[in-house]
Amino acid sequence: MKKLIIIPAYNEGECIERTIQDIEKHAQGFDYLIVNDCSTDNTREICEKNCFNLMNLPINLGIGGAVQTGYRYAWEHGYDMAVQFDGDGQHDASFLPRMSEAMVKEGADMLIGSRFIEREGFQSSFIRRVGITYFTGLIRVLTGKTITDPTSGLRMINRSVLEIFAKDYPKDYPEPESVVAVLRNKKRVKEIPVVMRERQGGSSSIGNVKSVYYMVKVTLAILVESLRRYK
Amino acid sequence: MSLRLQIILLAMLFCVLAGMVTQIKRKKLELKYTLSWFVLIIVLIVLTCFPRLLIVIAEFLGIAAPVNMIFFLGFCFSLVIIYTLTVAISKMSDNIRSLTQKIALLEKEEEKHE
Repeated sequence: MKKLIIIPAYNEGECIERTIQDIEKHAQGFDYLIVNDCSTDNTREICEKNCFNLMNLPINLGIGGAVQTGYRYAWEHGYDMAVQFDGDGQHDASFLPRMSEAMVKEGADMLIGSRFIEREGFQSSFIRRVGITYFTGLIRVLTGKTITDPTSGLRMINRSVLEIFAKDYPKDYPEPESVVAVLRNKKRVKEIPVVMRERQGGSSSIGNVKSVYYMVKVTLAILVESLRRYK
Repeated sequence: MSLRLQIILLAMLFCVLAGMVTQIKRKKLELKYTLSWFVLIIVLIVLTCFPRLLIVIAEFLGIAAPVNMIFFLGFCFSLVIIYTLTVAISKMSDNIRSLTQKIALLEKEEEKHE
């Protein structure tokens, strides 16, 4: 089974080496691909110096566009599974083999690594947890499914979801919206407890002012998404 | 509206129309996105030729002063034009994203063959 780890990287020069070492050590059997989203720091130089498997976007597309590039790559190269993995050191590669096993065993089309099942490790700030709980509620109302961590960036998908994402993926703040799209396509979404770390470097893409925009945009996107019709 | 004003307005409108057609001929403007501008100019030409029409429509809509009618029409047309632009931008940003991804994918392929 061919499995690809997609690492969207925007100015992750501080952390990218550690992330790849972590993957090479703990996630055997996985290929990885760094999608450099036109970083302005030395991310590209570091990756090239270390001969990492790297892809460079000629203009900055944002997280959604970067991850989708990875999905398109995975789709074209016949991968059976793809997993998004943050380049800032928040995610722990030792969960990846467990996730791919669980995915096969539970027959899931999408498997989300959730921080809020066993409530271990970095739990995000209080304000963010409130936001996440709100999205969990919204998704439950609209789809009837409970997703404890809809904003988690650690998500593994199989080829059937890969096909959906390669064609169509939200541009910014894609996580909650794309979970709804997957659920609406009648795919099985499961969650597995994981432990996440606080980011090791770089800065969050969501600041204070942006978080208001984030809540509004993602809410609207989820509502529109649940109005779409799928075969 | 005095005849003089009518003639001046018509002259101006035809100048704008001619200017736009030239721009399209030189391929500086895409015909597709200028349709709403064409409609606007044609409506203005008609209204300048028959100012009575303006008063009739204003009365029909219950607008007291015909001048307000002009403002209202101008506002509606501006909104339509802005909306067409928003649609065009959305389409374009989608295309740009798709192209950017394709370039990155192709570059990756090429690197493998080297």
